[in-house]
Amino acid sequence: MKLFPAKTRTARDMLSISPSTNLFLNILMVACSLLTLAPFYIIIIASVTSEASLTANGYRLWPEEFSLSAYTYLFREGSIIITAYKNTIISTLAGTVLTIILVMLYAYPLSRNNFRFSTFFTFFAFFTMLFGGGLVAYYMVMRQILQIQNTIWALFLPSSFSPFWVFVLRTYIKTNVPDELIEAARIDGASEWRTLIQIVMPLSVPGLATVALFSAIGIWNNFFNVLLLVDKVELYNLQYTIYSTLNNIRFLIENASRMQGVVNLAELPSQTFRMAMAVVTIGPIILAYPFFQRYFVRGLTIGAIKG
Amino acid sequence: MTNQETPAKPKFRWTADAIYCNLSYLTMVLPGTIWLILFAYLPMPGIIMAFKNYRLQKPPADYWIQNRFIYSLIESPWVGWDNFRYLVLPTNLNNTITFVRNTVLYNLLFMVVGLVLSVLLAVIIYELTNRFWAKLYHSIFFLPFFISWVVVAYVVYALANHTGIINTALASWNLPPLEIYKEKIYWPFIFLFANIWKYTGNGSILYLAIITGIDRQLYEAAAMDGANKWQQFWNITLPQLIPTIVLLQILAVGRIFGSDFDMFYTLPGGSALVRDVTTTIDVYVFNMLRSTTPLGYPAAVSLVQSVIGFVLILVTNYIVRKTRPEMALF
Repeated sequence: MKLFPAKTRTARDMLSISPSTNLFLNILMVACSLLTLAPFYIIIIASVTSEASLTANGYRLWPEEFSLSAYTYLFREGSIIITAYKNTIISTLAGTVLTIILVMLYAYPLSRNNFRFSTFFTFFAFFTMLFGGGLVAYYMVMRQILQIQNTIWALFLPSSFSPFWVFVLRTYIKTNVPDELIEAARIDGASEWRTLIQIVMPLSVPGLATVALFSAIGIWNNFFNVLLLVDKVELYNLQYTIYSTLNNIRFLIENASRMQGVVNLAELPSQTFRMAMAVVTIGPIILAYPFFQRYFVRGLTIGAIKG
Repeated sequence: MTNQETPAKPKFRWTADAIYCNLSYLTMVLPGTIWLILFAYLPMPGIIMAFKNYRLQKPPADYWIQNRFIYSLIESPWVGWDNFRYLVLPTNLNNTITFVRNTVLYNLLFMVVGLVLSVLLAVIIYELTNRFWAKLYHSIFFLPFFISWVVVAYVVYALANHTGIINTALASWNLPPLEIYKEKIYWPFIFLFANIWKYTGNGSILYLAIITGIDRQLYEAAAMDGANKWQQFWNITLPQLIPTIVLLQILAVGRIFGSDFDMFYTLPGGSALVRDVTTTIDVYVFNMLRSTTPLGYPAAVSLVQSVIGFVLILVTNYIVRKTRPEMALF
């Protein structure tokens, strides 16, 4: 299904909105788009302004003095950002691969009519969407039974599977992979595993890409599980690193008057440095966005509508 | 989302024959099943902590299971409803009411505003005559969905701290500064705007897909009969959207006692002065978990949250099934 089909000529004449309404809506949309993009613009511009001009003149629409010093400082030898980047990239890659495997393997049997236990396993996954043990029990199980706290697993394992993704992918397979094809493969003697890998998977790429992107975003942006399960600085991911930096700075500034002599405000990470941190955190996500978007919209709409 | 289109599925029984026939399928679902057991089902028995005076203790050497959590879960003394009573003690009642109120009101606000704006955006984007621009707008509105709340907290801070954009501007006009980390009044608006910013583009995708799928002839016939755009929306577009809207709202009702933890936790950055309008049940539970409070109290809150959510989703779904069976979730 195409989200933005070309409208046919005849239908357009009768049904399309009047040019003045169209103009009005376009102006409205441009205004909203600019508002949506404004936060990105603010932090990017602030991150490439020199600290001196930012302190003297405050934030401006266009920097008075360009400077990339925040970025060079950010990626200096031994910076916490480099460790955080490494942790985030490793966990995102590992988590996404794991998601693809787990979700594909769970969704494919559920999409088949000859799987006798599909009702059971559908319910087994669906029930967890309705009811949960709550945060306290989750916290205790993670820490006392699975003991994944302060390991790299804590960064991706709890967010690498979701019943919702299973249902999206199952519906995608049902509507996009013809039964006849799977039947034909079976008659030709292919095993279930071979059918899955050589026939079903290549045909489910948009659905899989959607799930993979969801998972990658979730793990890249993972904050909660790190807050809950990681106490070691060397295992912090990007989100948690920049969160604790912001919080420390705010605490120090707000209490600076009471702690005179203890804190030297001039030595705190500068504003440009902080903004540069936010920029490098969202950077890769923005860069990956255009590549995935094509699949994403297709996979999400087809997978979720017919469900 | 559940299987409704299964005409003559063989009845499932765990017989040796059935297992043998489906062995490869069963192997495939095994890894996912293990994940579900470890991360979703294993914490479920933990809800009994809500009825116990739970203390984490080391099991004695001769105990049958050498795990502190399980030992403490089984051996801690039962206290009945004491943990629940604690939450409504005169000293805590105000807090409890405030946090429940925050959670429910924010959720209702986000549900209503989110629904209206998502549908509106989908309709507008569909109606635009230039496809290239429609696509571009949509890509832009979808973008914030990928940004974490921590980064949003940076943006809020950059806008509203002492030397931030807003306060620099206010100072140059000789106006008093905006103290968002000290005054409560701003937070409902900050959360609402942040929520709209992040989720509207994503929310509209589904509606846009459905509208795109509606048969154009319906509109042509309506236009022929003299229906204007507004009437076409109410009588053709909206009825087609209703099943999806109902489905998503059933799920949202089930989450009404939950909240977007990352947003409520990171944006105010733990500022105590605005706690009354920024703390939701999730944040409350987390704060208790991190403090020295006995674990039975947050466990009791968690349990109430889970049970009410579960009951609400069953009741909503029951009502929908009674009135419009084709729209029910299960």
